Amino acid sequence: MSMSEQKTLKQQVTLLELVDRVLNKGVVVSGDITLSVADVDLVYVGLRVLLSSVATLEEPRERISTAGAAL
Amino acid sequence: MITPAATAPLRRNELGWYLYGVAAAGEASAPLARLAAGGAQEVELVAEGPLVGVASRVSLQEFDEAALPERLRDATWLEEKIRAHEQVLERVLEDASIVPCRFCTVYRSEVELRRFLSERREALQAALDRVRGKVEVGVKAFIDRDRFAVAQAKQNDDIRQLETQVSTAEGGRAYLKRRRLEQRVAAELDGFRGEAADRLHTRLLAAAEDGLSLPLQAPELSGREEEMVFNGAYLVTADRAAFEEALALLGRDFRDDGVDLELTGPWPAYNFVPEELGPE
Repeated sequence: MSMSEQKTLKQQVTLLELVDRVLNKGVVVSGDITLSVADVDLVYVGLRVLLSSVATLEEPRERISTAGAAL
Repeated sequence: MITPAATAPLRRNELGWYLYGVAAAGEASAPLARLAAGGAQEVELVAEGPLVGVASRVSLQEFDEAALPERLRDATWLEEKIRAHEQVLERVLEDASIVPCRFCTVYRSEVELRRFLSERREALQAALDRVRGKVEVGVKAFIDRDRFAVAQAKQNDDIRQLETQVSTAEGGRAYLKRRRLEQRVAAELDGFRGEAADRLHTRLLAAAEDGLSLPLQAPELSGREEEMVFNGAYLVTADRAAFEEALALLGRDFRDDGVDLELTGPWPAYNFVPEELGPE
């Protein structure tokens, strides 16, 4: 794995760490706002999308299948 | 950049407010200039009484509820917005305490944002008081099976004997002995996981203001091949000295068993604010 690929992977890992907090935690405001995030399983949706983009960078098949199982 | 509401009726394609979090008015005045100077996000502080909303004007079309499912499928969009959300909160956190909002908290107008800040003042101030002067850190523990097996051989007579038998046996017998050894180490590991998690959480909690044991992450999320045995979040004083000392001691204790600890943060206190803050 080259240095640049390592860096990319590390950035993606940090992103996934972020997803867990930004999409999953923090105050949810209900009421008259544009988005009703409480009704959307953001973590599920977000991780699917982002993991498949990580998987594309890595060994495609294997990672996608294990990622799917984890969700 | 925005048409004053007085001269034009609000339309769906106009700008709304993306709320990153809420801070105390006195504390959060300083970072504004720096955030604006950063250029990546035009962040404004919307002051309402003793509180300020840390917010950006955003296109309501981009953040509309109807458009959300499609946006969420766009990895580039999602990553950009998630990073921006965190980046803004981290900048504010350098100087002020903040109650972080969930991703994509978007108000149609400044009036609605202000109404929220004013109507939920008490709950917001209570949430702010809880995290004032504190940050969240994450602690994860990973176990290296090979190092765990080596440690077990040192501590456990049965396992040491099995290892000797494996090294002296030949052919099919060696295979069977090796399988027995592996099974024995796996059984020890099963017991060790829960015990290690309990010990870590108890000792870290004692060095923190508050703490939570979170679900373990699969290797795809942790980014490490080793198995995660503990995932915790802690609310700690901003200087973190006592907590980091406790963590360093634990790190030394656990290293011999093949366990490595990973510290993340400081984070805004995502795990230590009320989840729901709706109308009363």
